[in-house]
This record gives sequence, structure tokens and C-alpha cells, in this order.
Amino acid sequence: MDGSAIVILLTLRDLRHRFVRFAVVTVLGAVVFTLLFVMTGLVEQFHREPVDTVDALGASTWVLPQGISGPFTAAAPFSTDAVAVVDADEFAPVIVGRAAVAQDGSEDVVLIGHEVDALGSPPIDEGRPVAAPGELVADDSLDVDIGDRVMIAGTELAVVGLTSDSTLLAGIPLVFTELTQAQDLVYDNRGVVSAVLASGEVRAIPQGTVATSAAGVADSALEPLDGAIASVDLVRVLLWIVAAVIIGAVVYLSALERLRDFAVLKAIGASNRSLLGSLALQAVLVALLAVALAAVLQLFLAPAFPLKVSVPTRAFWQLPLIAVGVALLAGLAGMRRVANSDPALAFSGASG
Amino acid sequence: MSGLVVSDLVVEYVTDGYAVRPLDGLSFEASPGRLVVLLGPSGSGKTTLLSCLGGILTPTSGSIRLGDLEVAQLSGAALESYRRDRVGFVFQAFNLIPSLNARENVAIPLMLTGRSKSDALARADELLGRVGLEERLHHRPSQLSGGQQQRVAVARGLGNDPQLLLADEPTANLDHIQAEAVIRLLQELRDQGCVIVVSTHDDRLVPVADEIVQMVPEVAPVEVAPHEVKVSAGETVFVQGDDSDLVYVIRGGEVDIQRELAGGGHVLLRRLGSGQYFGELGPLLGFPRSATAVAATDLVLTAYNPRDFREQVQAKR
Repeated sequence: MDGSAIVILLTLRDLRHRFVRFAVVTVLGAVVFTLLFVMTGLVEQFHREPVDTVDALGASTWVLPQGISGPFTAAAPFSTDAVAVVDADEFAPVIVGRAAVAQDGSEDVVLIGHEVDALGSPPIDEGRPVAAPGELVADDSLDVDIGDRVMIAGTELAVVGLTSDSTLLAGIPLVFTELTQAQDLVYDNRGVVSAVLASGEVRAIPQGTVATSAAGVADSALEPLDGAIASVDLVRVLLWIVAAVIIGAVVYLSALERLRDFAVLKAIGASNRSLLGSLALQAVLVALLAVALAAVLQLFLAPAFPLKVSVPTRAFWQLPLIAVGVALLAGLAGMRRVANSDPALAFSGASG
Repeated sequence: MSGLVVSDLVVEYVTDGYAVRPLDGLSFEASPGRLVVLLGPSGSGKTTLLSCLGGILTPTSGSIRLGDLEVAQLSGAALESYRRDRVGFVFQAFNLIPSLNARENVAIPLMLTGRSKSDALARADELLGRVGLEERLHHRPSQLSGGQQQRVAVARGLGNDPQLLLADEPTANLDHIQAEAVIRLLQELRDQGCVIVVSTHDDRLVPVADEIVQMVPEVAPVEVAPHEVKVSAGETVFVQGDDSDLVYVIRGGEVDIQRELAGGGHVLLRRLGSGQYFGELGPLLGFPRSATAVAATDLVLTAYNPRDFREQVQAKR
């Protein structure tokens, strides 16, 4: 028989013996891992949000004025005359601007003006697309219903359709209206547009503009969140440290309390490998149980966050893997203590 | 000889810079089926000897032979294998694993020898039956009395049918009924051919011993009358590690009390002069000399046996 049966026996029995402590540590670890899941979900959402939103507008290329990184972070309208210069398989001008929607209060939105049934018109979840000025399609996070009438820049618009997951800049909803309506609302000037959306091959663009990929536009929309993302990442690192301290402390404490047991086992012929395996398995089990509990807890915690939390599938295998690594590292101090323990300690208490 | 042969065993270690020899040239033999009792006060090296016999501590020099195996030469995996396959341990204070029940505690050493878990547990049940604990198989140590724990510890020591069973104070803290049960068990094991070495303070074990190893040599009471001793400058009165016999009172001259250092040489502990005495604790407590006394000048001493010295001290009070 290899030592695995002994390792498992010692590990499971000790977990049962110190059940309360391990339960408390598992719950504490689970709270930390839950926060890690949520933080991971937030960062994922930060990255996924502009990509999904920009992709939903249907354009592979955005023709933008030179000198701006993206239409959502800087306003630089150019003449509608330039639109005629664009030569591509499919293209359409759009207006992009910031606005406030007034209805039972005021909420900031990103306003997109597009031609009817052209690029820039989002997939509709409920209702229908914008067909004429005076109509509005809104993201469902705006908390408006079809048939509602809302005010933007003093103009009343009727909600005719709803989209989902059309947000930018960490949850600011997008609203869509007809191009000329948006020109009036944002610039009060029907002679300008913010960008030209294109798909397929782009053969010509106006002077003074650049063709930017949809991915580039999405990246630029993420720039204002760089600080927030870095902060969340820092919190994640701190949470990993807290998790390591919790698991490391309990493993070390367990090792200290069991030094006499380990000495006895060494004295009767147990190898260091078996004993270290038992301690390592204990750390790994605590970490995995905590992660499993956290995977459930995050389902309840995530909806309570004001921002959408998109925990990626990969997190459900990456987090346990990292947790196991952290647990083993954290348990090293305890394992080293056991490795160096003297089997003669088994005789301690003797007086000879 | 196929039993246990210990020859000229020395264990030396350093504590606070001083060399200490808990075992200094110890030798004894025990044939299979013999029960050896190690007798001696605290600090006399009983546990050190058990540790050496069990392959837990490597002696500084000397030989330990169990059957055809030279234990003192083993290391690493061979030593683990020796402890696992040939030796059974019964530790003082039981030292059972608190998270395991009685049968699991007994089964662990068996599993270490390669038996399957079910095999080991079956054998554990049998051994616990032999020590009268068949009703306590699933009890954890905290649910057992001291005597029951000791019996589990004995059963654990027997699991691998050891050639050598080492028991450290197996009757400590047991009442006479529990102690009798343990002693009877040790007798049974001896009859099965196992060499048993028991460390104890407990005189109850002496009558059943086949061999008694006095860890501190018995020094016959010195029955000499107080007498004068003259020592020239530079000569030693006694040497660290010598058997203690007499106590000395300085009548004239000075003596240096020195302690041997681990790396050789010595350190002066103090210099004593006329009217002071030295060398009293060893004879009174039965310890070897813990320091060396060297005449710093020509010395005139009065030597007393411990009893006369004590009477003189009490008379002065």
C-alpha cells in the first residue's frame, strides 16, 4: 500500500476532529473567494462591455476624425459632406453624444443617432427599431418601458424598443434614435456627424479621418476605466493575500498543534512525505471547499452590485487552481515545521 | 546473538556550550524473550537510550545490534524501515493520535508496513481484543480512560509483531489494577519471544524483569570517616563525569571548579577558598560529577561521606 491511504485517513480524521475551526476558516475563505469572484466578474464586465456594445452596432470599421482615440471619449464632429467620400461595401453615418434622459429623475446616457435600418441600429430585444424621428430605443438598464415618453434635451421621445447589454463606461446605458433627431439633440446642426460606420471592405475615407477597427473603438471606450480596473486588480491581489494568510494560518496552527502526533508517526516509521502530504491535502481541501462555497455565494451577491457582474466561466477553474497553489504556498511554513520536527518529541513528557 | 546487544554506547550533545553525556559507555545484552528494565532517576539517560534503540537518535559512538542489523549505522529510509518493521513503541503519556479512534490508532503502524486498510483494521481489532478493549474500538482517546489509552498504546506497539518493544514509563499514572494489566501484557509479549525494554521509575516492574540496567551506576554508600586529603597545585580532586562519592571542605588553599567545553578545553566556573565546600550535590542526588575540581594551590581538604556532611551542615544550622 502506498502512503495515500494514510494521508487521506489522517487528513479526513483531523478535519473532523477540528471541524469547527476548519468550518470557520472555510466560511471565512469562502467570503474572500466570493469577493474575488465578484471582483473578477467586474473586471470581466469592464472588458466585455465595450466589445459587446460596439460589436452590436454592426460595423467592423469606424471612420473617425484624426486625433481622437474614440467616439465615446471625445467629441469631434465632421461635416456630412465627408460621408459621400467614403467608399465601402456598407456604410452609414452616426451621431455619438452624451445626454441626460429625464423621466422620474435624470439619468446620464450615451446617445447614438443612426439612419433607419442602417449600421448603428442595435439588435432589438423587445419592441421594434427606430423608424422615424421622435422615437427612441433604450437599453433595458434605463428602466423605461415601451410606450413611455422621455425627455432628452427638452425634446419628448417615445420609447419603441428595448435592447440589452448596450452600456458603456461601466454601466451607462445607450439610447438610440434617428440620425437627424440626434443631430438636433446633440449638435443642433444637421450638417455634422460623429463617425461613419462601415462593414466589409473599406476602399476610401475622407481626408482628415482615420479608419479604426471596432476592437480599437472598444479599447478606447475602456480607457476612462483604466484607473478603476487597476484599483479592482489591486483589491484582488489584496484578497489573494488575505486568503493565503487565512489558509496559511490555519495550516500552521494545525501543524503546531499536531507536532507531537507527527513525531509519533515519524517514530513509528511514517515518512515525511506522507505527513507533508496530509498537511498539504488539508490546505487544498479547505481551499477547494471555500472556493466551492464561494461559487454558490457569488450567485447571491453579484445581483446586489449596482454594476453588472459577469463572472467568466474560466474563473470557475482558474480560481480553484490558483487557490490550490496559494494554499500550498501558504501552508509551506507549517509543512516546513513538520518536516523539521524531531521524532524524539514522541518521547517528550518522559522524565528519563 | 539474535537478540539485542548494546556495546559501549555513547551519546554526547552540547547544551549551553558544555558537553553533556547522558550515556557514557553503556553496554548490555538481552536475548529474545527477555524483559529489560531501565532504572534510573530523571536525567539519567533512559529516554535517550530508548531513542537510540528505536532508531530515533543516532548515538555519538558505540554499537546497537538487533539480530543481524547494526542499528547505529542506519540512516534515511533504512532507519524508517527499521522503526516501521522491527520496533514497537509504547510512549509515555500514551501519545495516541487524538483524531483517530482506537482501532485506527492501532492500524496506522500496520498500514505503514504496507497492509491494506481493511487488513490493518482487522488486525487492530484482534490486538485490541487481546488487551481487553473489544468494546472500545470506535472510541477516540478523549473517550477512553488513562488505563484504556495505555492499553491502546500497547496494542499499537505490537501491531507489526516487533522484534523489539520499547516502552517508556508504561505504568506511569496508572492505578495498581491498570498497572497490573499492563505488566501482565508485557509478560505475555516476552513469552512470545520479543525483546522488551522498559524505562521506568516504577519499582513494581522490577520483580518481573529479566535484566535490570541501572542507568546511574549504584555507588555503594561510602562508609569512611571524615579524613584529611592533601592535593598538590595542578592536581585534580575529581573529574567531570566521575561517580560521585565524597564531599570536600577546604581547610587551606584554593580549588578551581571547571566545566568541560564541547570543543575541548574548559571554562572556570568559580574559585573556592578556605572554609568553602564543593562536590556536594553529586553524592547527595546520586548524579555523576558535573564539573572537574583542580587544585589552584596546594590544598588541604576534609573529605566527608554524604551522610556525615549532611549531619555537619544540619548541626551548624
